[in-house]
Amino acid sequence: MTIQLIRDISDTSSFWGASWVFGCFPDLHIVCDAPIGCYNLLGVAVTDYTDALPQMTNLTPTAIREEDVINGTAGALVRTIDDLRGLGSLEGKRLLVISTAESEMISADHTRLVAQIDPQARFFWSRSLEQDEWTGRDRALLFAWEEYGRPFTDPAAAPKAPNLVNIIGPSLGCFNAPADLHEVRRLIEGIGGVVNLVYPYEGSVAGTPRLADAAVNVVLYREFGAPLAEALGRPFLFAPFGIFGTTAFLRDLGRLIGADPARVEAFIAREKCTTLQPVWDLWRGPQSDWFATVDCAIVAGRSYVEGLTALLGDELGMKIAWTSGRPRRPDEPDNIEIRRRIHTKAPAFVFGSINEKIYLAEANARATHYIPATFPGPVVRRTTGTPFMGYAGAANIMQELVNRFYEMVFNFLPVEQVKVPAGPGGPPRATAAGPPAPPSVETMPWTREATERLNAALEEVPYLARISASRSLRLAAEQAARARGAPEVTVDLVEAAIAQGG
Amino acid sequence: MAEIIPLTTGEASASQEPFKPGACKLHPQTMCPAFGALRVLARIEGAQPAMVTDTGCLYGLTFVTHFYAARKSIVAPALGTAELSGGKVQEAANAAIAEAAREQHVSVIPVISLCVAETAGLAEELLPTEVDGKPVVLVRVPAYAIHSHPEAKDIALAAVLRRFVDRQSDHEPGALVLVGEVFPADPLLIDGVLRKMGARVLTTLPGRHVDELRLAGRGAAVAALHPFYRETVNVLRERGVGVVTGAPIGAAGSAAWLRAVGAALDLDEEVVERVAAEEEETARGFLAAQPLKGATILVSGYEGNEMLYARLLIEGGAHVPYVSTSIGQSALTAADEAWLKAHGTEAVIYRKAIEDDQAAMKHWNFDLVIGTTTLAAYAKERGIPSVYYTNILSVRPLFLAGGMIASLSFVRELMHRRPLYERMVEFFTADGAE
Repeated sequence: MTIQLIRDISDTSSFWGASWVFGCFPDLHIVCDAPIGCYNLLGVAVTDYTDALPQMTNLTPTAIREEDVINGTAGALVRTIDDLRGLGSLEGKRLLVISTAESEMISADHTRLVAQIDPQARFFWSRSLEQDEWTGRDRALLFAWEEYGRPFTDPAAAPKAPNLVNIIGPSLGCFNAPADLHEVRRLIEGIGGVVNLVYPYEGSVAGTPRLADAAVNVVLYREFGAPLAEALGRPFLFAPFGIFGTTAFLRDLGRLIGADPARVEAFIAREKCTTLQPVWDLWRGPQSDWFATVDCAIVAGRSYVEGLTALLGDELGMKIAWTSGRPRRPDEPDNIEIRRRIHTKAPAFVFGSINEKIYLAEANARATHYIPATFPGPVVRRTTGTPFMGYAGAANIMQELVNRFYEMVFNFLPVEQVKVPAGPGGPPRATAAGPPAPPSVETMPWTREATERLNAALEEVPYLARISASRSLRLAAEQAARARGAPEVTVDLVEAAIAQGG
Repeated sequence: MAEIIPLTTGEASASQEPFKPGACKLHPQTMCPAFGALRVLARIEGAQPAMVTDTGCLYGLTFVTHFYAARKSIVAPALGTAELSGGKVQEAANAAIAEAAREQHVSVIPVISLCVAETAGLAEELLPTEVDGKPVVLVRVPAYAIHSHPEAKDIALAAVLRRFVDRQSDHEPGALVLVGEVFPADPLLIDGVLRKMGARVLTTLPGRHVDELRLAGRGAAVAALHPFYRETVNVLRERGVGVVTGAPIGAAGSAAWLRAVGAALDLDEEVVERVAAEEEETARGFLAAQPLKGATILVSGYEGNEMLYARLLIEGGAHVPYVSTSIGQSALTAADEAWLKAHGTEAVIYRKAIEDDQAAMKHWNFDLVIGTTTLAAYAKERGIPSVYYTNILSVRPLFLAGGMIASLSFVRELMHRRPLYERMVEFFTADGAE
């Protein structure tokens, strides 16, 4: 067996994924069979940075200690449940005990103990040592349906109405979920659908049987959620990205919910001159030309990778340098390779997590624009105004990128600084013989190698910044040549100018 | 003297019953203990950490390390059931060490062994002590055995200090080693005062470079500014140097600390006495105004240095009836605890849980809560001005007269913000919190 190496892990474990699903239910209390660290990182620290929640209020640890590792965690679990009952924290709530890597390590399976303590309580073996967060989320969603939903439904019952739609997937730890959910809900309602249940985000244990009421399910993410939709046995669609992807989605969904095609087309037509109008305007303007001149890399969940590739690559014509989705396929770069690629040649735009942001910082790739598109990494995405999905997502992403273009232009414009830098090149001092000679405006001869080296260096600079970069590199090299009294600019002077960042 | 701070009535605060801690400790308040180790180790220049743990733990710790410690890439082996039960932990650790060693400019490879690896067993004698001349140091920080984030800082710092400390050179007369993660200006303030006494700060640990660890061996005395660096202090004590506990906090505390440093470094007593008196006088001049007089403040953090802040607030005139921390009680905490108890603090809670802090919130009426994120949220839900201890207090100087003035002035400003907190809670909750 060869040891796989992980650099800056991207996907967390099934314990986290499952807890982020179950943690959405206000009528459920989770006891995690975990040392204090697992509780703190999940329940207090990280969820505050992914979801901007001060803490997960329905999560309690058994706080495994050294003696529990030796003797088992049953005593700690019983004590924890007793204390929760004593505080009244379990009133009106179902109890769920969930295993963690450490409790699985010591084989602490509490299925029977939990049933003895409370027949309504359940034990969830999270398989945290083997499974990632996506599998964990899927298993938690199926578990919730099997335990709290399906047994209370009539398998033969028809949907309550043909236009009732569930949105499946949004849960804690999902990047940008509120904005994407808002947009997908808007699209569904725009063609006459009625959102039945947003699960698990707006769900509960008691409300879980209502999943069966909907005629159609929209699964928000490719990376998880589809197994629950399959178990529900109704037709389902994945949430859409891009101008054309969203249009196709609206027509498909319209057919599934029996909407009048004229209504669907009327909605699309109205969207073109409202939500999508900026896309059309920016497309007709000079801004869209830039898209063809730059490349980008996308590291994100499978949905975002496929969706952004379709929007930016297929629809707007940007060059997609490379992508890596989650869960990662074997043919996609892992973080060791992603880091190497960013260090070698950073694309003009990188959609990603804090890992990619660190690699860009390591490479000092200041000309590259980083755009958060996934976790890990602290970022607040709680408003409805930052969608990636749907028509609003297309407009938002296009607007965001154009603003980054403007930023790039701004950063390369010459500026006169108010505070004149001290030292050489600064203001003449009283004792100095006189001000330093201004740089000559005469054109200097360049060797062919030097010109070729300059051009090669400029190839590495994002298109928009090239004119400014060529000017500053040229000036730096020529000044160095004059300082040295050289008659022409040679390749070593260009190298030195490049090394100094132009 | 200044404007009047809106305060709770004395009556409401003067509870007759003695305080009882929380009925249970369900939600311990500490960052994952192992994070303390990562914070100390990841910040060392050229350190390439290799973490040996499961993926969930790795995700959480890497997340907070990248946010709060260093923008540093971190390697780990994939450790699943197959590796853990198949006796592959050792091999896995070695693979991660080899990958870490491939980086350029490696100063040390800390191998951070966490819960599942410690449970499976990782033998130190089977790990390399170096790879291509790059030192490898094992740091064991299973959360189930360490209990708090500050104490893991101590374990990590002691581990690298033991490896790098200079055991050959002589002690430099008058050179003091400071131990404690302090605001960067604090060692400079301390150094400025020490120089007036004929001494100096040699270095401050934990630092950013292995050379600082080497240098620490040349100190003539060590001052544990924070009360949880027991192992670290022991490493230096083995070198035969004197240990100063406590910190230069407030008027009385700063003078006493300077005298203790004078004794430990064998400085001229007369000079020390003059400088100590000067410091005390400056501090007393500021404190005469009693900037926090009449305010009741709760101090609850998980950084391990909460008692220092409580002392400062009390000297500034505040009533601090309750202080809680994540660390355990020890010889290093005794002096501060005794001082607090003699100055109106009724409860000092070690290894606290949110239930303890909430009991305190019910027992006293506070004008200001300086707490953990969970407690600060709880206080804000009740319209009480409150801030997150770690973020807000560790970003300003604390020590000696200068630090005291900076910290107290800031706390005083916070007290004026009560109307903002009240307005928010009125808006967001129909009838206030429960």
